[in-house]
Amino acid sequence: MAQVPCTHCNLTFDESVMITEEYPDKTLHFCCKGCQGVYHLLESEGLDTFYDKLGDTKLQPAVQKSDDLEKFDLEGFKNKYIKEHDDGLYEINLIIEGIHCSACVWLNEKVLHKTPGVIEATINYTNNKAKVVWDPDEIQLSKIIETIRSIGYNGYPYDPTLQEERANKTKKEYYSRILVAVFGSMNIMWIAIAHYAGYFSGMEQRFKDILNVAEFILATPVLFYSGWVFFRGAYYGYKNRIVNMDTLVASGAVLAYIYSIYAMITQRGEVYFDSVAMIITFVLVGKYLEVLSKKHAVDTLDSIMGSTPTEVTLIQNNEKTLIAVENVQLGDIIELKPGEKVVIDGIVTHGEGSFDESSLTGESEAVFKHKGDTILSGSICLDSVVRYEATKDVSGSLLHAIVSLLEESITKKPRIEQLADQISGYFSTVILLIALLTFGAWWYFGGDFEHALIIGISVIVIACPCALGLATPMATLVGISIAAKRNILFKEATFLETMAKSNLLALDKTGTITEGKPSVVAEKVYADYDRTLLHALLATSNHPISNGIRKHLETEGETFGLLPLEAIKTIQAKGLEAQYQGKQLVGGNALFMQEHGIAIEEKSEHTLFYFAVDGVLASRFELSDTIREGAKEAIANIQRMGIKVVMLTGDHEASAHRIAKAVGIEEVHAQLLPQEKAAYVKAQQEKGEIVVMAGDGINDAVALAQSNIAIAMGNGADVAISVSDVVLMDESPQSIHDAYRISRRTFLAVKENLGFSLLYNTVAVPLAMAGYVTPLIAALSMSLSSLVVVGNSMRIKMIKFKEARR
Amino acid sequence: MSENVIITMIGISTLLGATGLAALLWGVKTGQFDDQSKFIDAARFDNEEELRDAVMMEEKRKARKKKKEEEKKKYMPAD
Repeated sequence: MAQVPCTHCNLTFDESVMITEEYPDKTLHFCCKGCQGVYHLLESEGLDTFYDKLGDTKLQPAVQKSDDLEKFDLEGFKNKYIKEHDDGLYEINLIIEGIHCSACVWLNEKVLHKTPGVIEATINYTNNKAKVVWDPDEIQLSKIIETIRSIGYNGYPYDPTLQEERANKTKKEYYSRILVAVFGSMNIMWIAIAHYAGYFSGMEQRFKDILNVAEFILATPVLFYSGWVFFRGAYYGYKNRIVNMDTLVASGAVLAYIYSIYAMITQRGEVYFDSVAMIITFVLVGKYLEVLSKKHAVDTLDSIMGSTPTEVTLIQNNEKTLIAVENVQLGDIIELKPGEKVVIDGIVTHGEGSFDESSLTGESEAVFKHKGDTILSGSICLDSVVRYEATKDVSGSLLHAIVSLLEESITKKPRIEQLADQISGYFSTVILLIALLTFGAWWYFGGDFEHALIIGISVIVIACPCALGLATPMATLVGISIAAKRNILFKEATFLETMAKSNLLALDKTGTITEGKPSVVAEKVYADYDRTLLHALLATSNHPISNGIRKHLETEGETFGLLPLEAIKTIQAKGLEAQYQGKQLVGGNALFMQEHGIAIEEKSEHTLFYFAVDGVLASRFELSDTIREGAKEAIANIQRMGIKVVMLTGDHEASAHRIAKAVGIEEVHAQLLPQEKAAYVKAQQEKGEIVVMAGDGINDAVALAQSNIAIAMGNGADVAISVSDVVLMDESPQSIHDAYRISRRTFLAVKENLGFSLLYNTVAVPLAMAGYVTPLIAALSMSLSSLVVVGNSMRIKMIKFKEARR
Repeated sequence: MSENVIITMIGISTLLGATGLAALLWGVKTGQFDDQSKFIDAARFDNEEELRDAVMMEEKRKARKKKKEEEKKKYMPAD
């Protein structure tokens, strides 16, 4: 049978299972009622050009749900998320879920525009956040959300005042400052070229004056508008009695500027307006990149918080009421419906069901909970209605704790660069002092104020920018590009340096050392059976174990058709059963088999899956989470570099130890909750260790944010990637080893460069102090020293990787 | 004489550049660069229909304003 795409969502399914509509000129296929509904809605509204814009992009099948709409009109909700304008209009910020491409954005905007009462609706193409303004007299928020849901998307609100407004404002501010800086320095550059040409071939003073004034006019806004951030930083540094990088940049730029004005007016010496503009521009662009990555982190954080429910169903005197999560008190009984996210920790009182705890433990398998078990916030109720008693209020609950920890870590992250800044701060203080002394001595002993000033300033100019400034960025730039070629993305150059100094590597188990997907390691056949039956049964479930076995069956080269199974039942955390042409198919764990009266044998350290036809055991599969290829060698190599490797996992002791033994890790910390992982990292940091942490899930995010260097797997959760500093695109453990080697090699080059430029400074600065340095010599020696630094950095490229990978 | 030529050339070219810079700064201030993907993606949907849509939204806004004003006029203090 042919596979055809659904007319709405483009996912392909077997033709026989689809809803087909025949028209004289076309045939439509739909995978579900939801998609069918959306298609006809769009067609009747005249919006079907959406499908031309969509092209081949695949969407999620449209699911219609309207169970919790009433909460959008509650008073508490309004106070929390809705902003009222002066003229009585309401405004809300929404995150639109289900957007895959720009056509989706177009459709949502279009539909909202057509909705009566909506005054303004704009959706951001980058982060899918929407701003909607409406007239409360004409339409209610629940109606707007319903409209978004009716076309197959979902919108949930978030509070922009927390982080986003500030992040946006900083981003805009930096953008303007950079524009001015780039404009100024580019124009100064071409004037400076004329200047330099004149320097060597001779130029009349009157022309020089014109060029000087032009450069002065261009450099002034760059220094005072674009460079304002540095003055501000230097001022705060001064208030806290710290000499920081900003002080160096600000004082260097201002002094060069003042000296240049002096040289311009007295028509003596050279002007340095071009270096003033260049210093400001380069350092500003570097700072802007930091601001950008912070903005991205804020976006992901908003989507976590936005997707958490704001209300829970409370059971009081056998009546259900919706109340805001803030008002839940200890001992309240809360009801959970299937698919709902838990926001408050508690203990089950009625009912039982399975819970997805993957965002807490990283384990993809559902956990079965019954009366007396604790429920942690952040997990998702999968299949049944459960009532539980709140044991904590919302601010004490786990989910809230994680979110606020993340929030904190985004705004202030422990950084070693601060120390590096301090060192360059000392350097700048020393240079400033030396320059001042030189100036004083020359003036006192020489008696010529002008001459003394020129010499004093030339000390700063020769020492300040070049070799020392280039030493680190040049080497790290080369390091970063090599790493990127090997699919290791360092988000910032300084991370290479930090990582090189680290002696402790903490690894998450699931998804980092292992693949995070169970696969079949052994198969035992008890009786002959039709494998197509098993495949069909497994196809009814999306559980990782079903997927693992299905993949195993498919890799053995057979192709499986689709069988129309009947009476399909999925019992979470147990198994599956179905009927096919009178045959009873049962597949699941040992407990499930016993319930069906089927005798099973032996135990195994792996997860077991049994399959029986008509009560007769047919086969058994052993599944285990496979260790990533090359993990053992990579860990051994890392240990050989003198780095201690530990494992932090949310999984049980036994399986954690088994994996640890297989890859050669001695120190294992198992059954850790997300914040316990972070606490471990913090404890090690307090002992003076620089901790590198590698992980992939939301459960690792807090620890990743706490660590000095966070490494995330390329396929990991968004939040893990956004708080991390290094992303491994190929997810190979070997890449962690490579990252270590590249960063150590780079750090070596940085040290060489710094050593050289310090040497250069110890020679050049005394010469300048002695008054031997004319501008020509300064220019020559500066470019020469820069060339040495660049050349040395290029040597990093010669690093050899033994294992050439395919 | 030739000084004037250089002054004029530098002056005019810088002024032209500055005009462009001013336009860019205005764009940043009014939030036109907030969404970097919009440059690439939204341009594809930019046609007459979108223009009509924008006009429709503008009219909606006006209609509401008018309604509010009329409400104000109707309101009579009960003295």
